[in-house]
Amino acid sequence: MFDVIVRNGLVVDGSGAQAFKGDVAVKDGRIAAVGAVQGEARQEIDAGGRVVAPGFIDPHTHFDVQLLWDGAARPALEHGVTCIVPGNCSLSLAPLRAGDRRQVVGMFQQIEEMPPEAFTTAFDWSWEDFAGYRAAIEKALSINVAPLVGHSVIRLWVMGPASQQRAATADEIAAMQDLLRECLAAGAVGLSTSFVDTDENGRPVPSRFAQFEELDALCAVLGEFDRMLQCVPEFFATDITIARIDQLAELSLKHGITTTFSPVFDNAATPDNVPRIMARVEEQFARGAKVWPQMQTRPLDLSFSFLRPSLYFARLPRWSRILRQDLDVKLHALRDPETVAKMVADAGPDGGDKMLGRLICRGGDAAPAAMVGRTLRDIAAERGQSCAQALIDLSLENGLDVAFLDASLGHENSERIGPMLAHPLVHIGASDGGAHLASFSTYGDTGYLFSEFVRKTGAMSLEQAVAKITGETADIWGLKDRGRLKPGLAADIVVFDPDTIDREAELPAFDMPGDGMRYVRAARGVETVLVNGQIAYADGAYTAARAGVVCV
Amino acid sequence: MQLTRQRRFVTPGPDETVEALALRALPDQPVETAVDAIKSWNLHIFAMRKPAGLLLGSDVVFVEPPLS
Repeated sequence: MFDVIVRNGLVVDGSGAQAFKGDVAVKDGRIAAVGAVQGEARQEIDAGGRVVAPGFIDPHTHFDVQLLWDGAARPALEHGVTCIVPGNCSLSLAPLRAGDRRQVVGMFQQIEEMPPEAFTTAFDWSWEDFAGYRAAIEKALSINVAPLVGHSVIRLWVMGPASQQRAATADEIAAMQDLLRECLAAGAVGLSTSFVDTDENGRPVPSRFAQFEELDALCAVLGEFDRMLQCVPEFFATDITIARIDQLAELSLKHGITTTFSPVFDNAATPDNVPRIMARVEEQFARGAKVWPQMQTRPLDLSFSFLRPSLYFARLPRWSRILRQDLDVKLHALRDPETVAKMVADAGPDGGDKMLGRLICRGGDAAPAAMVGRTLRDIAAERGQSCAQALIDLSLENGLDVAFLDASLGHENSERIGPMLAHPLVHIGASDGGAHLASFSTYGDTGYLFSEFVRKTGAMSLEQAVAKITGETADIWGLKDRGRLKPGLAADIVVFDPDTIDREAELPAFDMPGDGMRYVRAARGVETVLVNGQIAYADGAYTAARAGVVCV
Repeated sequence: MQLTRQRRFVTPGPDETVEALALRALPDQPVETAVDAIKSWNLHIFAMRKPAGLLLGSDVVFVEPPLS
């Protein structure tokens, strides 16, 4: 007697092999049989006309804190994602001394745009070491988690404030190696580092103060455990990214480790960026190095309102500085004609027409209905104002609760992106799930992969697309127990409609601690999700199953 | 396998100043000329960063202009 049999589905097993009609049987949390399955099960799922595939793996997330109150990493799981990798970009919530929490929370707020309430109101922060963090999230996981440990927090633990001041001594590097060993032994899937990020005060994060020799020493430890290195390179500059690829390749070859970097974007302004990066990646793979570029499926867009700080104003330091202030200070500045005149001037001699004119008033907030869906350029013309002035005034007139969307920030030409995603050395990922909460929805990239690049453009087959986000991802990350529908492996399974799987529209939700807002996308076409053999999501609802594990 | 030539770079040593780095990377040039060159080839450090010119141990510092 099996526990579950998924019958009559189109089995796409995650290996890239041709799909076939058949059944998948599950027993004791594992796949027991694939094909024409005889026998009975306590529960049968009719998958007629549906695809049965391994659960999707999302290799670049920041669900570190959300997992402490939401073991399903909603809405990732309902999109068919059964395994997530948090702890990217040099940041994790362990190892972390109690006295250093505020500092790391500040980094999460700055880099990943998470509200402070997420760290202060929703859980009991009782751990300091990695094993303690693991125990804290394992209490109620519905999704599997393969957590990275962050280089910045390892450095902070060993060096304290000096971690953002200087190079490490030989003794400090040795201590970091010991600490990394402890984290890997406690279940970390690898180490993450960053070459670009800053804390909330604009200071480079600790990992950026490391000499290459320090990273080399830590990678030696990764080699002992056969674990991953993830890094964020200077993705805005092709030459620097290529230099980072070469550094990662040296580390990969020397220590026998797999490395990955993200993000990699295509952009009309720099059309040779991805081709040059991929040419270098191909050369390094030909040498035997493993340097996997991660590329997201979705186009780049970004929303903001004046209620919260936003990455959008990174180009306008005065705006960014003002919008970071507390509400009363912010309102005072925005009502001061002299300050506003400077802000408008900062937006350019055209009053911000080129920089801001394409913004769309997106609604779902206090925006006047007559403004919703219109461009700022159109609204400004109607008001007889510059775009920058109209943006400020419209926000002030509505309690700052007016959201604007820039829908055209790049990575949007599907005819170019499709072949890039299909490249055998491109690792599909970089969703940033759980981060940038009020800037864009990081959920549904997998649905978009099928709707845009399988159904619409045909850049890849159904089997290729499934393999890219299951079997290939598991291979890259060394998740030997996952990623394929194969007897003996963990029963992470998604049943979806290949004709409709997609992401829904991006909508604001107020489901974060402290009624914090984030943008989310619901799933379309995903019918059933099993995690380690238990049904975690079905018929549009999450179940009570808590079968997720920390997996390496 | 022979790698295609890419833009050459160095990484700063502990507490290394831009002058010291420039002398190390471009020993045949007068120090002021070398520093000016290093700065002009590394705007990510000397123009985009706050504070400008803060050298970090992990930095990629190009020691030649972009390849044509």
